[in-house]
Amino acid sequence: MVETGALPRRDMTLLDMRGISKSYPGVKALEDADFAVRRGEIHGLVGKNGAGKSTLMGILMGIREADSGTIAIEGETLHQASPQTMIDAGISYVPQHINLLNTLTVAENILVGNLPKNRFGLVDWKAVNEDSQARLSRLGLKLDVRQPVEGLSVAERTMLAIAKALFNDARLIILDEPTAALSRVDIDLLFGFVRAQQEQGVAFIYISHHLEEVFEICDRVTVMRDGRIVGMRAINEIDVADLIHMMVGGGVEEYQRESSAGHELVFEVQDLSRRGAYEHVSFALRRGEVIGISGLQGSGVDELAQGLFGLERMGVGDVTIAGEAYRPGSPKSAFEAGVAYLPQDRHRYGLVQLRSVRENVTYSVLDRLVGRLGVLMRQDEQAITEEYIDKLGIVTPGPEQRTLLLSGGNQQKVVFAKLAATQPAVLILHEPSQGVDVQAKVDIFNIINDLSRQGVAIMIISSEVRELIGLCDRILVMYEGRITKEFSRAADNMQPEDILLAIEGGPGDADA
Amino acid sequence: MKRAEPNRLVSLMVDNLIWLFVLGAFIAFSLLSDRFLSPYNLGNILLRSAAFGMLVLSQAYTFITGNFDLSVESSLGLTAMFAALMLVTSEAGGLGWQLDPLLVILLMLILGGLIGLFNGVLITKVGVNNLLVTIAMLFVLRGATYGISPGTSISFFPKEFTWLGGGTLARIVTDDGNFVLSVAGIFVILAFLVGHIHTRYTQFGRNMYAVGADADAARAAGINVDRVVIIVYIIAGVCAAFAGLLQAGRLNAATPTMGANLIFAVHGAAIIGGMSIYGGRGNIIGAFGGVLLWSILDTGLNIMGVSPFWIDVSRGLLLLFAVLLDALRVRYQHNVQMRLALADTTVGLGDKEQSGG
Repeated sequence: MVETGALPRRDMTLLDMRGISKSYPGVKALEDADFAVRRGEIHGLVGKNGAGKSTLMGILMGIREADSGTIAIEGETLHQASPQTMIDAGISYVPQHINLLNTLTVAENILVGNLPKNRFGLVDWKAVNEDSQARLSRLGLKLDVRQPVEGLSVAERTMLAIAKALFNDARLIILDEPTAALSRVDIDLLFGFVRAQQEQGVAFIYISHHLEEVFEICDRVTVMRDGRIVGMRAINEIDVADLIHMMVGGGVEEYQRESSAGHELVFEVQDLSRRGAYEHVSFALRRGEVIGISGLQGSGVDELAQGLFGLERMGVGDVTIAGEAYRPGSPKSAFEAGVAYLPQDRHRYGLVQLRSVRENVTYSVLDRLVGRLGVLMRQDEQAITEEYIDKLGIVTPGPEQRTLLLSGGNQQKVVFAKLAATQPAVLILHEPSQGVDVQAKVDIFNIINDLSRQGVAIMIISSEVRELIGLCDRILVMYEGRITKEFSRAADNMQPEDILLAIEGGPGDADA
Repeated sequence: MKRAEPNRLVSLMVDNLIWLFVLGAFIAFSLLSDRFLSPYNLGNILLRSAAFGMLVLSQAYTFITGNFDLSVESSLGLTAMFAALMLVTSEAGGLGWQLDPLLVILLMLILGGLIGLFNGVLITKVGVNNLLVTIAMLFVLRGATYGISPGTSISFFPKEFTWLGGGTLARIVTDDGNFVLSVAGIFVILAFLVGHIHTRYTQFGRNMYAVGADADAARAAGINVDRVVIIVYIIAGVCAAFAGLLQAGRLNAATPTMGANLIFAVHGAAIIGGMSIYGGRGNIIGAFGGVLLWSILDTGLNIMGVSPFWIDVSRGLLLLFAVLLDALRVRYQHNVQMRLALADTTVGLGDKEQSGG
C-alpha cells in the first residue's frame, strides 16, 4: 500500500448501535443494548444460547425490527432498517450453514445474476471464468473457479461466501460460528484469509462459542447475557476465565432438585467409540439418578444421544440396561428396551403437530391399547391421555386439540407425556428447556424431578449449564469426542465457571 | 485442490453416462437385428419421437428450475384438437372455418403458452404445490380435449399445417430402401440446440439453474425467482403445443387421446438424460440423449418383433433404471461429502492405532 491516504483510519467507529431493545411475547430478548464496531477490526460477540446474540444480529441485518434504539453506520443514522438497506450500507452475514448455489461452479456463484456477455448477448464463459478468477486472486483466494461449489470444503465455502460479500462492497461481515465444522488446518486457512481482509480495512463481527478462537482472532470482544450487554473488552486485557465469568454472571435464583439417586445401576456405557463422533465414552446411571452431559457443537454429545437411542449407529463398545446387553438398531428397539428419547427438535421429531394431544400422547403405546379384533380401546386411550394432561399440567382446551395450537412449553409437555407413557427405565433428554418460557421451564423441571423419583434414570444433554447444576447429580463434559471432566454434587465442585471452562476445552483432567 | 481431482473424472462420467448408453443401445440393436441399420429405419427414429422429444424439452426446462409439469401431455392433445377444429371442413369433423394454417399454428402456440402461464402463476403467485396444479390441469385439459372433439378423430389437414410434422426435406434412394430426412427430425434437433444455447449461454438460462440450485440463494442474488419459473412454464406450454403440431402433422389427424400417458415416459427420458427433478443439474444436450435412447429402444424392440406388452415392460425397466441411476448418483455425491467430512476429523481414529499397537 503506497497511498497511505487510501487506508481507512482504524480508530473510526464503523457501526454504532445504541439503546437497542426488543421484546417478544413474554420474553425480553434485548434490553438497552449498546454495541459498536470499529473499522477494520475483528470484534467477537460471545454469550450463551439465548443471551440475545441472534436477536441483536437480526436487528443489524434488518430482518428483525427493534422496539427502540438507533443504528448508525459511519456516523450516519439509518432511519429504516430493511434487509436491503443494511446490505446497501455494507453489512453482510455469513451464516454457519452457507447458502450457495451448490450445483453450479464457483465462477457462476460469484457472478450470478450478472454474467459477462459477448457482443451477441450470450454468456461469455471464458470471461466468466477469467473474471471470477481475477476477482478471487485480488483477495488472495486460491480456488478453481470451474469447480462446482458442492465439491468445496466447508472452509472454502465460508471463504467464498466472504469473498462474495466483499464483491458486493461489504464493509462489515458477520461470521456466525464459522469454525464449528472445521479442522485445525482449515481454521488456520480461514483465519489467514479473514486477517488479510482485515488488513484491507474490512470489519468482522465474530460470533462463536469457541472462546479460544475468539482470543486467537479478535481484537475486541463484547459479552452478552440474558438480553443485555455485559461488557466490552480489548482482547489483550482479559483472559478466558474473565470472559467466562462475564458470560455466566453472578447469583441467579435457581431451581434446586433434591437428589433421588438409588444404588442399583440401570444404564451402563463402557468404552463406546464411533468414528468421527466420539471415543472411549464410559459412564453409568443409577436408578433415579439425573446426570447432565454438556459440550460444544461438534464435541460428540449430539451424536452420543442419537447413537444411544438408535437414531444413528452407536459404534463400538458395551452398553447394558439393568445388566442386559443393549444394542438399539432403531428407535423402536430402543423404546422396547426401555429407553426413551426427547429430541432436540421437537417440531421435526417429537410431535405430529397436525394431530391431537391424545394421538400424540398415545402413539408410542398404541400396541398396548389394541383390543380384540385389532380395534383400539378408545376409553383406555382417553384415560391415559387425561391422566398425563392432569399429571404434567398440560394447558389445553381438551385432548382433541391439535398440538400445533399449543404453546412451546405445552408442546414440550406433550412430548414428555408421550415418553412417560412408555414407562421407560432410561430417559434421554436433548435440550429439554429450549424454546420454552420460564413458567414452562419450571414445570418441565418438576416433571423431570417426578420421573426421577419414580426411579427413571435420566440423562440430560444441554448447554444450559446453570439449569444442569440445579437438576443433576453429576455433570459430564465432552470435548472433541471424549468425556474430559466430571462434576458432581458429591464432590461439591459444580461451579458454572469451571464447567464452562471445561466445555470450552480448558484445562481438564482426562478421565480414566 | 487435491481432494477435487479424483472425483472430477467420475463426475464427468456420471454426468455424461447417457451417451455411453445411447452408443451401447445403438450397437446392441445393430448386432441383434440386421434391419435396425437400414436407411429407412435410421431416418425414422427421430421422426417417430419428434413430439415426444418436444415434451422432453419442455420437462428439461421445468426440471432445471426444480419444477415439473405433468399437464404437458394433455396440452399436446388439446392444442392439436384445437388446431384441427379451426382447420378442417365440417364434413371432416372440424368447425368448417378453414382458417389460414399459419394463423392456426400461431394460435395453438399461444394457447400452449397461456396454459403454461396459468400453471406458472398458480404455482408461484398463489403458492399451490406444482404436483397438484399440474395433475389438476392434466385432467382439465384432457377432459376439455374430449369435450371439444367431435368424438372421433379429425383428419385431412392442409399441407402447410402438416409440413413440420410430416414433411420431408430430402430423400436418398439406396438399394436397401430410402433414407428420409424428415422436417420433424431436423426441427427437434434444432429445438434442442436452441434450448441448449438458451440455457447455457443466456443470463435467463443461468438464472434458471440458479433458481433450481437454491431458490433462496437465487433470490438473495437479486434474481426474480417467480418470474423465471413463470416464463419456464410458458416455454414448457409452447413446447407442448409444438409437440401437438408435430404429432398432428405426422399422423395427418387429431384424436382426443393424443399424448395420453406419455408424461412419465417423458420424465423417464429426461432423468436418464441426466436431469434431476430436484433442479440445478443436467443439461439440454443430455436430455436429447435421453430422447435418443428412448426411441432407439422403442424402434429397436419394434423391429425385432417384441410384443407391445414386453416393450412396455422394457420401458418401465428403463424408467426404474433411470430413477435408480439418479439415486446412485445422489448417494455417490453424498458419500464423497461424507468422506471429506470424515477426512477432516481425527476423533476415534489415531487413538485406535495406539491401543492396537
